[in-house]
Amino acid sequence: MSIISLTIDGLDIEVQEGTTVLQAARKAGLSIPTICDHKDLSPYGACRMCVVEIEGVRGFPTSCTTPVTPGMQVTTQSEQLSTLRNCTLELMFSGHPNSCLKCPHRELCEEERPQATKAARTTRCGFCANRDECELREMALDSGLNELDLPTIYSAHKLERDDPFMDRDYNLCVLCGRCWRICEKIHGKPAINIIHRGKWARIGTAFDKSHLDSGCVFCGACVDICPTGTLTDRFARWQGKPDQSVATTCQLCPQGCSVQAQSKDGQLQAYTMPGFDKEDRLCLLGRFGAAQILSSSKRITRPLVREGDDLIPVDWDYAYQTISQGLLDANGTTVFLISETTSREERYLYARLASSVQGLLLSCTTEAGPDDPKIQELAASIEQGKVKAVVTNGFFISKEILNKTAFSLVIDCMESELLETAQAVLPAAVLCETQGSYRSADGTVKQLRQCSQAPGDARPEWQIVCSLAQSLGKEGFEFDVLDAVTRLVDNDAPPAALEKDPRENSREIVTRFRGHYVADIVPSLAAFDVPVTLANDAGDGRKKGFALLEKQEIVPNMHFLTIEAPQVARFAQPGQFAILMARETSERSPFTLVDWDKEQGTISLVIEEVGRSSRELASLRAGEHIAHVSGPLGLPMTIENTGTVFLGGGCYGIGAIYPLARAFKEAGNRVICAIEAASSYLLYRQDELAEVCDHLLVGTKDGSLGIHGGIAEIVSAISKQEQIDQCVIIGCTFMMRMVTKLTKSLNIPTQVALNPIMVDGTGMCGACRVSIDNQTQFACVDGPIFDGHSVDWDELALRRSAYRRQEVQALPQTVDLNALMHSHSGGCGCGRKND
Amino acid sequence: MPGQSTDSSLISLLAEYGKERENLIPLLQEVQERFQFLSPEAVRAVADHLDLSENDVYGVATFYAQFRFVPPGLHHIKVCEGTACHVRGSDHILEAVERSIGIKPGQTSEDGSYSLERVACFGSCALAPVVVVDDKVHGRMTGNKTQKLIEEEE
Ligand code: SF4
Ligand code: SF4
Ligand code: SF4
Ligand code: FES
Ligand code: FES
Repeated sequence: MSIISLTIDGLDIEVQEGTTVLQAARKAGLSIPTICDHKDLSPYGACRMCVVEIEGVRGFPTSCTTPVTPGMQVTTQSEQLSTLRNCTLELMFSGHPNSCLKCPHRELCEEERPQATKAARTTRCGFCANRDECELREMALDSGLNELDLPTIYSAHKLERDDPFMDRDYNLCVLCGRCWRICEKIHGKPAINIIHRGKWARIGTAFDKSHLDSGCVFCGACVDICPTGTLTDRFARWQGKPDQSVATTCQLCPQGCSVQAQSKDGQLQAYTMPGFDKEDRLCLLGRFGAAQILSSSKRITRPLVREGDDLIPVDWDYAYQTISQGLLDANGTTVFLISETTSREERYLYARLASSVQGLLLSCTTEAGPDDPKIQELAASIEQGKVKAVVTNGFFISKEILNKTAFSLVIDCMESELLETAQAVLPAAVLCETQGSYRSADGTVKQLRQCSQAPGDARPEWQIVCSLAQSLGKEGFEFDVLDAVTRLVDNDAPPAALEKDPRENSREIVTRFRGHYVADIVPSLAAFDVPVTLANDAGDGRKKGFALLEKQEIVPNMHFLTIEAPQVARFAQPGQFAILMARETSERSPFTLVDWDKEQGTISLVIEEVGRSSRELASLRAGEHIAHVSGPLGLPMTIENTGTVFLGGGCYGIGAIYPLARAFKEAGNRVICAIEAASSYLLYRQDELAEVCDHLLVGTKDGSLGIHGGIAEIVSAISKQEQIDQCVIIGCTFMMRMVTKLTKSLNIPTQVALNPIMVDGTGMCGACRVSIDNQTQFACVDGPIFDGHSVDWDELALRRSAYRRQEVQALPQTVDLNALMHSHSGGCGCGRKND
Repeated sequence: MPGQSTDSSLISLLAEYGKERENLIPLLQEVQERFQFLSPEAVRAVADHLDLSENDVYGVATFYAQFRFVPPGLHHIKVCEGTACHVRGSDHILEAVERSIGIKPGQTSEDGSYSLERVACFGSCALAPVVVVDDKVHGRMTGNKTQKLIEEEE
């Protein structure tokens, strides 16, 4: 191949023939914005961001698709090119949530809310799981584009989250085509493609089949290559950008694929492909299952020793002593059942220990479980008293058989029925919680590196085995570092190969990990027809409790619920709230009463889907039941005739100010209502509000309707025109804080409805503590309405974020989410009618 | 039922075409002509024949307005969207049909009596805007006239 010389922005450059202008420019250190281009994909030329000027060439060719020619003279930066690129961006953003880019409060907001809100639908960057690493957003911010002249069109594509592992929100898609192109590159026949045309064009499958039926093998490549927040890994979605990425090996099956382990705060987020080539692909168990296995709530976290009927948590030393004593007392042959997915070093040490106690080691294949024929033979030996003790590092034997031994030790990561009979249990660090090497079925030795913190007291098995051996008084286990063990391992047998490659077919994944059914640990795996013992409890309790009469997603993420709750309706007063639990197992969450009907015995609420509890409520359908509704709670708002009352609502607050407006109006006040949203299509209940106030004003962060800005801008405009005697503000903490700061300077008495975390809602738990004028108050009984100028906002923000991590992990993976489609009949203004 | 993958006429139709990707559109056109719509089975069979994924085939097929994916109704209404008809208000006609039978282009009413299709020029521009019901051309149409036409058919 010959070398070609060309000039880019006045720089003389030499590159190989066949290079594209874009690659040449990058090589020279010049940056050209791109979206559809990706280094691992062939040129596509769809987004037109990478346009350049080439002397002698008409128009503006796309640099990603144009090969260099000798003597070419390229310009990558000019006024015309910037205009062109900005137009392209603008067009892209008109079909994509863009209010954050135009929002006058963006910088303040991002400071206040360092992490994105876990909303269902992404209607702005602040609600987008991709915010930290969005290529689109970065491009827009880089270009300084914050004036977008085109109207925002929310296409209201269905939120796709009925497939396992992936959440897909095509309302964020910019049709760069990276996803289907990588799918085609890796799998040959893509499971997705661009379907339909014009404004209906989107990524999809033939006849809108689910991915489970479209040929998708859930390799996750598309999720990892998507530049926007359209395609996300449901488990890792809200955890933010990984802070560590380590090359290691997946041990979940004999395939032993190389993976890039991504973790954050010492917790594995996902195993991703080490590259975007066919040979880099992973099966769904590795890609999506590994992280969920490590974070499972069934992990064993403490050494346990049996005392009578109970397993008692003990410290390691005590555990080792008890176990060695137990093994000695058993006084007979010990059998070790060791998984083939264990590292080479650990298998070696187990074997060494087995021989030093004149025991026997049985290697258990990936697919082995308590029903394995080998184990049946072992059972016979145990019955005959030939085997006295069993050490197992997985669920390879049934509890009934284990019970017949004189002594049994489980060294495992996951709870199982064995905990009912085992004499001792030791918590093991597994997968990328530990290090070592792994021999894959083809014989290659691969490195295992650590990148995730083991839970609780769990330790790597190599350390466990060495300590145990030492406490048994055995020699030859004095290893401080693993390398010393690695050097001794030689000639170890590779694990038995699988018959079929699980990366080719999603139904071929291994069904067990250390003898446990993987679907018992990662419930979404049940979708792939793998065996499971635990019943899925989704949908339980939906028939008892309080009838949900009406449920509608009135605008994206906002659900309007009408519930039969006569007791609450009978005593409800403006400003009060109710505590709801979707199911018996749900958390208790407070929601402001938006309306009630004493005669019908019903209450109405607006629920914003931004976390676990609200997601559970939002996934219910009309006709189903809510496990618990208690209320009315909190002190009602004091309603007096003060003159002119200004009520401001944002997010759920738009619904919440409604009963207050009605009451203030009835008390003879002049009532001004103001509502804000990121964009006009997110406003709701305007007509109802207009009926109960004298004046209704609207503010949008993107300027698509009413004032460009929010409640703060509206207050300051109104206060110039007339006197406001009282302000009541309800919305997110950030908005209330911003507005109260302003009204303080304007000297307008202001009340806010605080929304701290509540647990019991009756003043007992103290979870909802807030500081008002340096005095501790409980929002549930002393509030929720307080004087906005006396609130300690910093403390409130801190308390609200205190539970973030747990909350993220509590997001349900299996909730039946089919009821969550956007319905267009509720005046959502999204411009689309029900099809 | 037409369009089943086991349908022998579909198999013999496919056999007439080579396995090159260029054959995709002609093949889809002929399948639609023969069976009046592209069923999931037909799309799958075409994909298998050309060694493509059905998602690819569906993607291409949905790009063109001419393909339908549900069986046509008893009465098939075609509304011209050619330039002449468009200028003379074919949109209103589409809306009128949507209002009176509640279907969009590409759809068939639930009872199976009507289906609606948008087509490019019929070559009857002098009569714009044009509506064709079961191959009978109606010229100089309005929303109201179309609605009446539909009522008469019932
Ligand atoms: S994908 Fe998310 S972060 Fe990126 S621009 Fe869209 S909303 Fe913002
Ligand atoms: S889903 Fe993501 S990768 Fe695929 S076209 Fe849309 S933005 Fe691009
Ligand atoms: S997960 Fe893999 S197989 Fe499925 S659509 Fe994405 S790239 Fe294709
Ligand atoms: S990057 Fe070149 S057209 Fe998209
Ligand atoms: S919610 Fe527990 S004290 Fe208020």
